[in-house]
Amino acid sequence: MINYRNYSVEEFATDEKFRQWVLDPSGELILFWEEWLFQNPDRYNTVNQAKALVLGFHERYKDNLSEDNIRSEVNALLELAEISKNKKRISFFGNPFWRIAAMITIVAGFGYLFYKNQLSKKTEISSSVLMLEKRNSSDKEMTILLSDGSVATLKKGSSLKFPENFSGDTRKVFLTGEAFFDVTKNPAKPFLVFANETVTKVLGTSFRIKAPEGANTVMVFVKTGKVSVYPRKEYDTLSDENDREVSGVILQPNQQVVFNRKENRLEKGIVANPDLLSESAVIQELVFDDQPVTDVLRTLEKMYGITIVFDEQTLSQCPISTIFKEENLKQRMNAICQAIGATYEVVDGQIILNSKGCNH
Amino acid sequence: MNNDIKISGTSDPNANLWLKFKSGDAAAFGELAQVHYRALYNYATKFSSDSEFIRDCIQELYLELWERRSFLSETAFVKSYLLKALRHKLIKESIRLKRFKEPKELSFDADEADLSIESLIIENEHLKHQIKRLNQIVSHLTKRQQEIIYLRFYQNLENEDIAQIMSLGRQSVANLLHRTIKEIKDIWMPAEFFWGLIFIAFC
Repeated sequence: MINYRNYSVEEFATDEKFRQWVLDPSGELILFWEEWLFQNPDRYNTVNQAKALVLGFHERYKDNLSEDNIRSEVNALLELAEISKNKKRISFFGNPFWRIAAMITIVAGFGYLFYKNQLSKKTEISSSVLMLEKRNSSDKEMTILLSDGSVATLKKGSSLKFPENFSGDTRKVFLTGEAFFDVTKNPAKPFLVFANETVTKVLGTSFRIKAPEGANTVMVFVKTGKVSVYPRKEYDTLSDENDREVSGVILQPNQQVVFNRKENRLEKGIVANPDLLSESAVIQELVFDDQPVTDVLRTLEKMYGITIVFDEQTLSQCPISTIFKEENLKQRMNAICQAIGATYEVVDGQIILNSKGCNH
Repeated sequence: MNNDIKISGTSDPNANLWLKFKSGDAAAFGELAQVHYRALYNYATKFSSDSEFIRDCIQELYLELWERRSFLSETAFVKSYLLKALRHKLIKESIRLKRFKEPKELSFDADEADLSIESLIIENEHLKHQIKRLNQIVSHLTKRQQEIIYLRFYQNLENEDIAQIMSLGRQSVANLLHRTIKEIKDIWMPAEFFWGLIFIAFC
């Protein structure tokens, strides 16, 4: 048993048993300390000061992280750890032979990339993936729904190349012109936009890219989340994921980067006119109060300019109350499906909703 | 929070967890992350108010630990190691993102605005008053003093750990801590004595 008799204020305040009693008292501890105070009434002031110290600092420095937050962060970590484990990097540490071999490979790799660059600029598309290309020749903005639920809004005269289905460990699309992206979060599969000589990498966020054909600059504006932008050449030559993190520029909301094609350089700045970022589909608040789910679906259809296929009759008995604020399309669809016990899939740029109705 | 937990086939849960983690056990990694997450997050909020930035930093920190696990020492790295690494990372990342005007000076800056003593459920008015005064006193300390007090009394770390985290000598930590506590006491205690008298007089 610790003799608390001669403890000072600081000693009490850093004693685990004492702290627990102050911050999170339980039956046994309360009993112990009340008994102790009863036997040592002359230490009352010291104990009270220590109590004030612990409580005061606790109140001063506490955070607002919930247990749920921690759990979801740890889960995300485990997912990422699993991915890195599967990659099984080959270790070159310690063995000079491998170092030399690696050096030769890198030099040869540079040579090959240079050669490839000279030869053709269109090697980026992996042959096994079926790529679709959409060009917006209308006057209005055009919405493209990608297979992962991400949405790209194309300005007129712009075009986007994308796979019918994202496969592999990245989601790659190729942009010419200007588009706004609202990307579905998936830390395991980064979303990559290739535009002129830049690569923009995101995990889940919304942002706009302006890459006019033949122009000298590429601009990236971030609305929500965080994206990293790399000069294309650097992105291609770096194979190690960690190095990529270092060479690019990381953008926060309301920041923009301008890529100077002539100098092959990225310049970061604050968005001069934040209005550029007020994307109607993203910020508009929608309130549905006990309305048929079919109304909600139709509103989303109009808002995103996409087709949602559903059975009018089965869903007519499904009222729903919800408020949409900053969610992206996928999150909104998930919320709806959860509410009415339905599922959905993305097929050919359309959303197909499967439901058995709400009568049972 | 002992930093020198040696692993020699003991049944120390910390050491066992560390061994499992080193051998590539994802569940052990998860547990390790879970145990220290709040301490790390809380410490980081004293340097940056951008919670997304903080989460990214902590995530990166853990992933680096995971990827380098086989090269790490047999000694269990604990809270103080992680806090130090996180502090370092916050500085590095901040410079990279140019968040701070003076890149080398990362300052400890706890939010005082949302400190609401009134919300504390303390039946004892006297205690409430003491806490209020303590907070006033602490907010007038230097950043360095505030950080040392935070690590000592909020994170409840030993001097040795604090020295490691703040990259100071052990003796300087002891001196600074001693001086800071004395400073607090000198202002806090006379009042405390006075209030103590009133308190006793009314009892």
